[in-house]
Amino acid sequence: MWKKLYAWLDERLGLNDLYKATLDRPEPKGNWWNTLGSASLFLFLLQGATGIFLAVYYTPSPDHAYDSIQYIMTGVQFGWLIRGIHHWGASLMVMVVFIHMLRVFITASYKYPRELTWLVGIGLLLATLGMGFTGYLLPWNQKSFWATTVGTQIAGSVPFIGEFILKALRGGTDLSALTLQRFFAAHIWMLPAVLAGLVGVHLFLIIKHGESQFPARED
Amino acid sequence: MREEQKKTIKERYEQSLQKGERFWPDSIFKDVLMALAIFVLLLMLATFVGVPVEPKADPSDSSYVPRPEWYFLFLFKFLALYGQIPLLGKVEWLATVLIPVIYLGALTLLPFIDRSPNRYYGKRVFAIGIMAIMVTSMVSLTFISDVPTTSTDAVYLPGLLQTLGGLVVPLAGYFLLALMNFAFKKAPAKAMIWTTAVTVLLMIGLTAGTVALAPILETVEVEVADTLEEQIVAGQDLYSVHCVECHGDDGSVTVIEGVEGLEGTQVMAINGRDVLYTLNDDSMAEVIAYGRPDAGMNPFGRAYNPEGLTKSEIDYIVIFMRYAWDDRYEMPPMEPLFPALAEGEAPSYEVHIAPIVKRYCVSCHRAGKDNLNYLMTTYEEVLTSGDHADQNIIAGDPQSFLLLTIQEQTIPDPETGEEMIGVMPPKKALSADIVDVFLRWIMNGMPETAGEAGALSTMPAATATP
Repeated sequence: MWKKLYAWLDERLGLNDLYKATLDRPEPKGNWWNTLGSASLFLFLLQGATGIFLAVYYTPSPDHAYDSIQYIMTGVQFGWLIRGIHHWGASLMVMVVFIHMLRVFITASYKYPRELTWLVGIGLLLATLGMGFTGYLLPWNQKSFWATTVGTQIAGSVPFIGEFILKALRGGTDLSALTLQRFFAAHIWMLPAVLAGLVGVHLFLIIKHGESQFPARED
Repeated sequence: MREEQKKTIKERYEQSLQKGERFWPDSIFKDVLMALAIFVLLLMLATFVGVPVEPKADPSDSSYVPRPEWYFLFLFKFLALYGQIPLLGKVEWLATVLIPVIYLGALTLLPFIDRSPNRYYGKRVFAIGIMAIMVTSMVSLTFISDVPTTSTDAVYLPGLLQTLGGLVVPLAGYFLLALMNFAFKKAPAKAMIWTTAVTVLLMIGLTAGTVALAPILETVEVEVADTLEEQIVAGQDLYSVHCVECHGDDGSVTVIEGVEGLEGTQVMAINGRDVLYTLNDDSMAEVIAYGRPDAGMNPFGRAYNPEGLTKSEIDYIVIFMRYAWDDRYEMPPMEPLFPALAEGEAPSYEVHIAPIVKRYCVSCHRAGKDNLNYLMTTYEEVLTSGDHADQNIIAGDPQSFLLLTIQEQTIPDPETGEEMIGVMPPKKALSADIVDVFLRWIMNGMPETAGEAGALSTMPAATATP
């Protein structure tokens, strides 16, 4: 019965081919350093899942953002756990992505034929930092408010176009409800879309070229 | 890259695949274990460390020292240090834009800059050395990010050390490595490894020195009320300190009495529907923050006064007013101000006296008020401050000024016989149970902690009821 069902699905979805292409692949001998990429992916998915739960109660307005988070922490069943995971997951993700980048640098895995994988990876690193930066404002507490004030000020010191960047980031000259609104949009729609797309390309390239081997003396 | 090089690379890779493993299940197994470990770590962090509590954002509080999230701290510190370079001074966009863009550009285009096909570590000493110094400097800048860059002291050692460790040494390291790599093409790898190692060790040493010598920063503990009950109590305490003088403890005052500068000003009773029904929470918070200059209401927000109330504190006061006086809100069951005393039990400062004093006395008995210099904000002040410090509180003496005044007796001046200290609190007598707490506290020698008070208590030992 199950075999029949599988055969039916396989005929239509190509499950066997999929299995051969993605899972049943030969790989060079790896060690624990090779798990950092998949760990980053796991953290991305975990942040996505917890973030979706938080979005159920969170309100992106200066009047209610702080209170809605306080409600998540005290009023919602296991809200404190979801927020705690999201909070610490963000820090851990930045750390894991960065160490993953260092590993790739030290084993020179960015060289032929994996140059594009590196380029996409830098995009992923920047998008991750962007997620950290935009997500930091959302609790609308003292720390996040002033950190964002300073952060956007730095962006505003670019010669010639600084003024424009500052206004584009803040949605005006000052940090306001508009800033919160657009950081929220960037945090839950724009950057995750970019991240998801780049993750797809990154994974495709890894499967295409295979994981790189640790360099030997002759390499 | 030549075609045959590409071919060798591919052949080598094929060879390593022959000796390798399968993605499923070999690698996946490790990946899953790693993911599990990360998940458990996050669960532990969320459960046992939690998310630090912060007060609500207050755009008017410009005294707040802003700090970015920890992974941007190194950049923040880099900007601060860079601004200190002599001669160059603070060319802000050099540090904020040019250098980060160069770093980031180099990192992005790395595969096109480093075009040699060599992958073995020994053949890439230059690249790895530069990266090692860079990462060390990011880590060390993160560690010293809290140490002030400059100081008013003539000789400020941490400042010098961090400039050395954060700028001079790493720059020298980059320079030496570049020199060896490009100028002397034949420089042995060993020399470069040594240069890197010495640079990194020096940076670590200087960072440790900076942190060790750094002036200890005061950390300000912020209390954030989480639950409604805590917020109401916080609001009532703040109201008792800041508002009671003019508005009275039940908000019913219409003509201010006994307040310097505002004597006789007519105000609205703030406990009635006229105020509570016509102003929403935001408007009430704004009146408290910005004041109503025409009606004699002073501004209490940080924007006007560096020692003023924060946004969160003003919100607590509004919440207190709603639940205390607005008939559309129902006060939740609250803990009493202090636990009731049993027969023979001695009260302590921390459990009984402190909350009472905060609610009824501190409003006037704090710095800057007309109170014969008797301040009551800490245990030491309650016992030792004031013009009549030796008579205010005398252990075991029911004639202590404090006890007399709260029992509606005035203290006459010993020479002229005129009233020197009036009854306390001036407008509304304390309830009998509170007077009893003060009486027992002073008669028992003013114990500070609950433990000391327990030792003094003469409670009858619990006996079995027949």
